[in-house]
Amino acid sequence: MKEFTYVLPRSLPEAEAAAKKPGATLKAAGIDLVDRMKERQFQPTEVVNLLLLQPDLGGITADADGSMRIGALATLAQIAASKDFAAEGYAALREAAGEAATPQVRNRATAAGNVLQQARCWYLRSSELHCLHGKDGPSCLAQVGDNRYHSVLGYHDCVRVHPSNLAPALLALDCEYTTQLAGKQQRRRVADLFPLEPKAQLEEHTLLPGEIVIAFHVKAQPKSARSAYRESREKLSFDWATTAAAARVVMDGGVIQEASLVLAAVAPVPLPRPDAAKLLIGQKPSDELFHRVALRAFADARPLSHNAYKVQVGQAIVREVLHATTR
Amino acid sequence: MTAPKNDSLPPERELKVGIGALVETRTFDVPDGDAPPWDATTKFAVVGADVDRQDGIAKASGRAKYAYDITFPGLLQAVILRSKIARGKVATIDLEPARGMPGVAAVIGLKDAGKKVRFVGDEIAAVCAPTIDQCRDALERIVVTYEQEPHTVDFLQSSDAPVVDDSGELVDPWSEDGDLDKALAAATVAHTGTYRTEVQTHGSMETHGAVAKWSGDDLDLWMSTQATFGVRGEIAQAMRAADVKCTGVTIHAEFVGGGFGSKFTAGAEGRAVALLARAANAPVKLMLDRYEDHTCAGNRPAALMQFRAGLDQDGVITAWDQRTFGGCGHNGQGGGVAIPDHFLRKAARRKDRMHKDLATDADPGRPMRAPGHPQGFFGAELFLDELAAAAGLDPLVLRQKNDPQAIRQQQYTLGAERFGYAKARADAAANNAQKGVRILRGVGVASARWGNLGNDGRGRDGSGGHSALCRIHQDGSVEARSGAQDIGTGLKTVLAILTAEELGIRAEQVRATAGHTSDPSGPAAGGSTTTPSLAPAIRHAAFLCRQQLASKVADHLGVAATEVVFADGKIGTAAKSLTFADACKLIGPNPLEARGERFPNYKGDPFERGVCGLQFAEVEVDSWTGLVRVVRMLAIQDCGIVLAKKPAESQVLGAMIQGIGFALHEQRIMDRQSGRMLNGDFLRYKVPGAVDIPPMDVIMQSVANGHTNCSAAGLGEAPSCAAAASIANAVFHAASVPLRHLPITPDKVLKALSQRKAK
Repeated sequence: MKEFTYVLPRSLPEAEAAAKKPGATLKAAGIDLVDRMKERQFQPTEVVNLLLLQPDLGGITADADGSMRIGALATLAQIAASKDFAAEGYAALREAAGEAATPQVRNRATAAGNVLQQARCWYLRSSELHCLHGKDGPSCLAQVGDNRYHSVLGYHDCVRVHPSNLAPALLALDCEYTTQLAGKQQRRRVADLFPLEPKAQLEEHTLLPGEIVIAFHVKAQPKSARSAYRESREKLSFDWATTAAAARVVMDGGVIQEASLVLAAVAPVPLPRPDAAKLLIGQKPSDELFHRVALRAFADARPLSHNAYKVQVGQAIVREVLHATTR
Repeated sequence: MTAPKNDSLPPERELKVGIGALVETRTFDVPDGDAPPWDATTKFAVVGADVDRQDGIAKASGRAKYAYDITFPGLLQAVILRSKIARGKVATIDLEPARGMPGVAAVIGLKDAGKKVRFVGDEIAAVCAPTIDQCRDALERIVVTYEQEPHTVDFLQSSDAPVVDDSGELVDPWSEDGDLDKALAAATVAHTGTYRTEVQTHGSMETHGAVAKWSGDDLDLWMSTQATFGVRGEIAQAMRAADVKCTGVTIHAEFVGGGFGSKFTAGAEGRAVALLARAANAPVKLMLDRYEDHTCAGNRPAALMQFRAGLDQDGVITAWDQRTFGGCGHNGQGGGVAIPDHFLRKAARRKDRMHKDLATDADPGRPMRAPGHPQGFFGAELFLDELAAAAGLDPLVLRQKNDPQAIRQQQYTLGAERFGYAKARADAAANNAQKGVRILRGVGVASARWGNLGNDGRGRDGSGGHSALCRIHQDGSVEARSGAQDIGTGLKTVLAILTAEELGIRAEQVRATAGHTSDPSGPAAGGSTTTPSLAPAIRHAAFLCRQQLASKVADHLGVAATEVVFADGKIGTAAKSLTFADACKLIGPNPLEARGERFPNYKGDPFERGVCGLQFAEVEVDSWTGLVRVVRMLAIQDCGIVLAKKPAESQVLGAMIQGIGFALHEQRIMDRQSGRMLNGDFLRYKVPGAVDIPPMDVIMQSVANGHTNCSAAGLGEAPSCAAAASIANAVFHAASVPLRHLPITPDKVLKALSQRKAK
């Protein structure tokens, strides 16, 4: 990596001040960041390490309104093992956090780091190749190259996929997040964290320079709520999802009252599928129904030259996640 | 073990060779002076027992020092500048700007202007400096311009590639061959199919590279190598070629983090580090990073294979034909494939070999664990299962009908019983017949074979030859030393076990050392030859030391030397004996020392100079997502007399795990446009992890083979032949369509299943 100034803030205001400087970047566990720096794909001049703030920005705590607060620096392992998320309604969070990477990574990797890690596109992540997404290249190399792991949905001029496990689960549970910028805190829906039109020239998230995510907020889930996260892979240990889905369902008398469905690893952002979820409302669970929902979730799929399989696999994962929420 | 009477051995010796019911008596010419050969009747104390790997704790605790771990005060790091284009020429190169960069101690050119560039990653120049980042900063200043030429990195896009149709079948008509064509026409059942494998990289835990340190004109290299003596010569010659005065080269490779065939050469990195250390007048370390290791240090070439064959009404293979292509690197070499031709003894075959290696603008192939075999065995064994299905035969039965090898014949019976083969096949079939079943199950079997039982290492005139050193010291410590390398496969444990067996002590009492070229020479670790080549010499060294010690003990106790027995830590006769430690006190300040001789392999060819194996696999195929999961595996492997049981089993397990990778996950993915490897890391170059590895059972079969004084055989290659093939066969059983293109990834599975439905 290139030389940089290492900043260890002792407080959030100190962190904010450091993050504002041009060329500065925020570091949580550094799982993604340090790799990219070592490979010279990313060369910040200041690295602001937030880990010292873990006592304030970590952990999982209950808020007065009954919602749960996941600190930005809570680890994936903490989320996966949290007793606060033991109820079926929170299962998507536990499962998403618990399936990521390896036990070693989960013990270090943070909630915000997982959601904000850079896309894993192999063109984007080669320091020798120049694509359209933040690298001054003329075009998206994956679109005409080997795109077996890339988008089938919701892409514009860049076909990367969003790699976070946690993001679709947070979206399925309609979670919120709080950021701090210029001394002010702001709370928004997690959906607002991602660009509506994920164009190549845009950042992968909507945070402003210097804006720091400090927490995610999970609404109290009713007893009748159930959620789940499932992903497809090419192998079972330490692999990136080829497709993923998170779902939340509220049932009453064997009939689905509320439903949400979010796809991941198939588009440049985690992708809620409200139209497909709507098909579930007022229905009794059945494989036939879930199959229809799965088809609807991928109805507007536009697979690339090498990834048509992802549509079929993604549909299977939707079926599976819906079975898991209604079993 | 019992004491051999070794005073006047007759040159012709009767030995019991074989295993179990297959044991037979044969006569061998045993060279004068050799240790009395072991056979099927020998009772062992240490050989074949559950002895721990000699360096296991050192490795697991991080105390083992690999080349990567070696450091010295003032050590410099080095990095190689590599080509960014896949094909062309260096037009201009200017190294000067790098020389003035902070910390840079030396810069050397590896490719001058006008030289060809043959793949992305071809070596251009190298620098050394105190930190890797200083090296990389300096490399960024080197100005290289290229005359670029069009490239191809896909062997099926090369100009002389054969034509394949959309389903992947070779479509050119076969050339005529009278007898073969007749046999094919006369067959009761005939079948044809085309099979393909992708480039697999070696992916050793430790990347390639070395630390170089000069003392005056003497050069020491701590190198990650599987050929200590080979690279010694290579470096010495490179120094001569570069006009660098070098009075001696010593290679150190006491711990090597794997090689799998990719580390026979010192490589450009080995030569560069020696030259940089000289130029910088400081110790220098140059280890490749993971991307370089994937892209510049060899691979197993891709293969494309078409088979056609016929069976008679008894299920005997009466005709066999094949044409094969290797998908190679820029040198267009090393892509040959080998098939299990033990099944083809009664088959009419083509006279000429139809194989063509196709070049691409990529890193050349290097040998990799049974070169050519995993590809060819996958294709041919899957083809055999398809042939059996076409004939309505169980695949195991087809193999039994066509296999002349006695040891494997009993492996079929033993394996089928141990694996519960018949029931597992039937249960899988019943499961798959259920309507709407999501998880399909399958059971497969494939054979293994390797035909190299080591060599004496002698020149044509009989001079030279492998050796080993044994020393017994006055304080009771015992050393067993070889200058050959232990690349993780267990040579050090073999050294300890053979020495302990011969001296009647425990293996833990022997300090085994390998990998320094100051010790007696041995072979490169290739072709499963290290153990069978060295074990007889190791045993002979201990045998000679034992004779020296026996004579001292005999004098002391007043008994005849021929009556002295070494067993259970005691030396002497039933009536009078000394403990091993007390016996050693009879040794003077100089230790007892002997160099073992590696006599030529005994004449006679029992078991066709090779080993047999058989592997079974059971898989689950998720028909929704296309994911294949291996549920369990069994390997039965003949291995001469099994010397070191734990490392031997470990070798077989490793081959099975590597086979899972080859069958299901591993493939080098190249970007056609840039010629770069896209997945040159361990995130996207997928190797099996703990969760992907199922329960695996290994049965080692100890076969006295009568080839040397200890009947040793090697294990690197044989188990590698069968693993991927058995998995592919199990997938065929589960999916009822063959998946003919490795790796069997979900996209291919789903495509095949949808084609099955369409049918």
